[in-house]
Amino acid sequence: MEELLSKLKKDLETKLESAKKEADILNIKSEYVGKKSEISSILASLKDMSIEYKKKYGSLINNTKKEMENMINEKLENLGNDVEITFDDTLDYDIKTGSLHPVTIIAHEITDILKRMGFTVVSGPEMESEYYNFEALNVPKDHPARDMQDTYFLDNGMLLRTQTSDNQIHAMENFGAPLRICAPGRVFRNEDLDANHENTFYQIEGMVIDEGITIENLLYVMQNLLKEVFKKKVKVRLRPGFFPFTEPSYEMDMSCLICGGKGCPTCKNSGWIEMVGSGMVHPNVLKAGGIDPEKYTGFAFGFGLTRLAMMRYKINDIRVLNSGDIRYLKEFNIE
Amino acid sequence: MLISCNKLKSHIKNSEDIDWLNIWDTFTLRTAEVENVEVKGNSFDNVVVAEIKECIPHPDSDHMHVLKVDCGEKELIEVVCGAPNVRVGLKTAYVKVGGHIDGSEIKARPLRGILSNGMCCSGRELGISDNHDGILDLPSDWVNGTDIKEYLPIEDIIVEIDNKSLTNRPDLWGHYGIAREICAITNHELLPLDILEITNDLEDLDIVIKDENLCYRYTGLKIENIKNNNTPLDMQIFLYYVGMRSISLLVDLTNYLMMELGQPMHAFDARVVKNIEVGLANEGDTYTTLDGITRTLTSDMLMIKNENKYFGIAGVMGGLDSEILPDTTSVFLESACFNAASIRRCAAKLGLRTEASARYEKSLDPNMTDLAIKRLAYLLKEQNPDMLIASNLTDIYPKVLKEEQIILDKKTLSTYMGKTLEDKEVNNILETLGFKVKVDKYYYDITVPTFRATKDIKIKEDIIEEIARIYGLENFTPKPLKLDLTITEHETIYNQEYDAKKLLATKFDMHEVHSYIWYDTDMLKTLNIQKDNVKLLGKETNNILRDDLSLSLMNIVNVNFKNYSHFKIFEIGTIIKDNQNKRVLSIILTDTEKNLEAIYNEAKKVVKYLFKVLKNKEVTFTNNVNEYNYYNDTLGKIINVDNNKIGTLNVLNKSYTNKLSKKKAIVTIDIDFDKYINIEKEEKLSKEISKYPEVELDYTIILDNKKYADLEEVLKSFPSKLIKNYRLIEVYENKYLIRYTLGSNNKTLEQKELQTFQERFIAHIKANNLKIEE
Repeated sequence: MEELLSKLKKDLETKLESAKKEADILNIKSEYVGKKSEISSILASLKDMSIEYKKKYGSLINNTKKEMENMINEKLENLGNDVEITFDDTLDYDIKTGSLHPVTIIAHEITDILKRMGFTVVSGPEMESEYYNFEALNVPKDHPARDMQDTYFLDNGMLLRTQTSDNQIHAMENFGAPLRICAPGRVFRNEDLDANHENTFYQIEGMVIDEGITIENLLYVMQNLLKEVFKKKVKVRLRPGFFPFTEPSYEMDMSCLICGGKGCPTCKNSGWIEMVGSGMVHPNVLKAGGIDPEKYTGFAFGFGLTRLAMMRYKINDIRVLNSGDIRYLKEFNIE
Repeated sequence: MLISCNKLKSHIKNSEDIDWLNIWDTFTLRTAEVENVEVKGNSFDNVVVAEIKECIPHPDSDHMHVLKVDCGEKELIEVVCGAPNVRVGLKTAYVKVGGHIDGSEIKARPLRGILSNGMCCSGRELGISDNHDGILDLPSDWVNGTDIKEYLPIEDIIVEIDNKSLTNRPDLWGHYGIAREICAITNHELLPLDILEITNDLEDLDIVIKDENLCYRYTGLKIENIKNNNTPLDMQIFLYYVGMRSISLLVDLTNYLMMELGQPMHAFDARVVKNIEVGLANEGDTYTTLDGITRTLTSDMLMIKNENKYFGIAGVMGGLDSEILPDTTSVFLESACFNAASIRRCAAKLGLRTEASARYEKSLDPNMTDLAIKRLAYLLKEQNPDMLIASNLTDIYPKVLKEEQIILDKKTLSTYMGKTLEDKEVNNILETLGFKVKVDKYYYDITVPTFRATKDIKIKEDIIEEIARIYGLENFTPKPLKLDLTITEHETIYNQEYDAKKLLATKFDMHEVHSYIWYDTDMLKTLNIQKDNVKLLGKETNNILRDDLSLSLMNIVNVNFKNYSHFKIFEIGTIIKDNQNKRVLSIILTDTEKNLEAIYNEAKKVVKYLFKVLKNKEVTFTNNVNEYNYYNDTLGKIINVDNNKIGTLNVLNKSYTNKLSKKKAIVTIDIDFDKYINIEKEEKLSKEISKYPEVELDYTIILDNKKYADLEEVLKSFPSKLIKNYRLIEVYENKYLIRYTLGSNNKTLEQKELQTFQERFIAHIKANNLKIEE
């Protein structure tokens, strides 16, 4: 009996393998597990057998029939999966993508890092008053930066801001101390255009004010910001600098990414590229923002987003950025 | 600025302890950025002192000579030389055969048939001056055959310091100041300068300062009987290495002092000086400077005058009539200090930035003028032992600059540094930099030397900078900000701008562009559009600030029409309107003229989508009365949110589009982003979904000479409790397919109810004079 049952199963398996159409399978179904099938007649004949026989073979025959039914049902279910493919599944398509401006991408990345350090992102006006652009930032009346050569003055008595540092004063006025802000934005300098010079470019400003802020805090934020941006591939160095709105002031250099610090035309053979201007906020600036310099200290920093974007994407002509030429800009997929 | 290490060494005690090649990396970190370090004197060897013993004209040349020179060897050596200044007895520099000049080996070779064994050299050939008029003329007491490097400071290290990083340090515009800085960095001692004390038992010179606010100090001295006006070779080499030309001893000494102390000086021929007056020029006068150029003066330019005639532009450049001449034997020395801003403006106006003006505009120390004169007199006397001091050291100094005190409390210092330094360390740093320090229990009482006080050091934070930089920034440990969980003020502008940009770029395949804040003048001309808005001063073109972002983007549209027949761009930028900054989002869709309808409809979809996704708001479009005639009046729409205008949608009129490119359509969207920022996002509330099935009914309505807006009025005025919503599904010619979704929250709709709805609806449409397909 065991042999007979296993033969039946084997036969069914072979039959099913070659069956492709639903009708064929249904035929096989009635042939093997239908009312007139062999196994059905074996089952029917069981009632005339001895109790011992029933005990011995009853469940085996029943289980075999179930197994056979399952095999057929499974084959039926899977039938739809084997449809004949009537189309070319190897075609390739050109996808349309928009693009974000490289400066937007970099600004987003930088603000993201700063947000992780608890900075709030703020923004300020591009047409600015002399007070916010110069006076409140401790830039005296006869400072060279105030010259017509560098600054776009307007016929309504205002100017186009020359730096994002105006945000320092706005932020202090709006939020008071303690404070932790960054401000990406567009700035303007009266310059002739060439591959390295633009009159319109982007910077980002940062400012932290609290009780007991130290030079060491400034160092930490600067170093880690640059490390995050350049994925630790860069060395940084801090050296004395001069800005009217900070005291002490520091320039932060980054090892040149083009030559790896060996010296090349990009870094003027020094191996270093000036990246960030920074320093401890000048007491006069704190006062201008209505903050008591005897109680609070702080640091501020600023750097060129446009330049960063150029370095990151190896853009060798700055004029591309404001050209609006889609042939160049479309490369910058959304990040 | 170029710095000679030989010169620095002469000012520092035990300077041989310093590694002069490698100190400059540290200098960059402590003081100012070093751009280049160049080793001098490597380019030649085997150059010795040689004396010309015989000199005969070359038989086959009109200018060469055949020389026999004594170069310290047993035999005289025959050399051919083309220099005009050859003569018997001249001692000069001679390169032996096998020696090198400028890296190449000198070989014995025939010159016009006569073998030349080596070569006599000019200063330029040795790289120690730019003089190539003749071979070097060396002092007669130098020993033949001695290597020239033993006599002359040819081996040197020349360091280039970035001028920009010295902007704030007037004291570093001379070698002596740099030497002081090196002393502070390496803990060495700065040597005092040798000077000639003037006894002042003669007459004062006639010097008058008319404006004390522009000329702080004027020091003069007259010296006579100057017979030797030749500059010693070592000084010539120094001047050449630091970028100056050697002219004559008197002129060179003024330059030497400028390079040494940073004090610009002037030497006038004393024969022409009667009286000196420092005062302003008359507007419109002209004056010819030393370089032979006649310049027009303005009334804010400070002048040196002699006998009421212009004698020099103060702090910028002297004039021709006071020049030192070959027969000058008496000299009037000027050492003065002027107002920095005044000199800077003057030099900028004249377009004449000189070594002197570059220094004056940094705010020089007025207490340096007399020292410089005494120093110059000392150096002059070395070359002219018989010279005579012919006047008192006349010093007009109306307001003496005194040293100032700054109190630095130790607590503030520790706060900034993040650590506490020992008194000894603070004291040592400040004293080597020239400060005087009194140490108290709680503070330092610091006297600031005047050479640091004119600009740089004013407040205690300036002192902290000095301490921190010499202490060494690399010795600080970066420390994170202390944990502070105070929730910060939140400004969403940046995030909202980014979200909108990202949506447009990802959902609608648009390209973000950046453009200028002013209109492109050529573009306005091309389009023949006049604009009047805030203007940039001092510019003739591209000087009108934009008040319409979309219009200003037409420049970029134009650029891209060259390469693309259709494209979509956007910018979030600032415009200036009514004298205010305004943020605007502009979106521009372009295509060929026949696709106007498609991009017009897409533009509407973009706006709807933007507000739906980012603000959860429905927008409506209403007819626009155009502010600008370059946009089409019929197609222009006002974009409304909550019944308030938030922007406009426009189509550039064909006559303007044609000026950019033929047969094109340009659709523009301008969203007032300041308003956008302030729209609160509508909260999404969970909606209950009916348990009963909904039914959709489609109606095709035929509009003759009417628009969808008319149909919508009709649809809106049809009331029924069964309506869940209705939508416009499709438009084919004048047939509008409207789909109604009907349903109830409490039951399944019955056929009878649907029937009634149908009948009522058709009747309503017909009653409004519209046709409906039944």
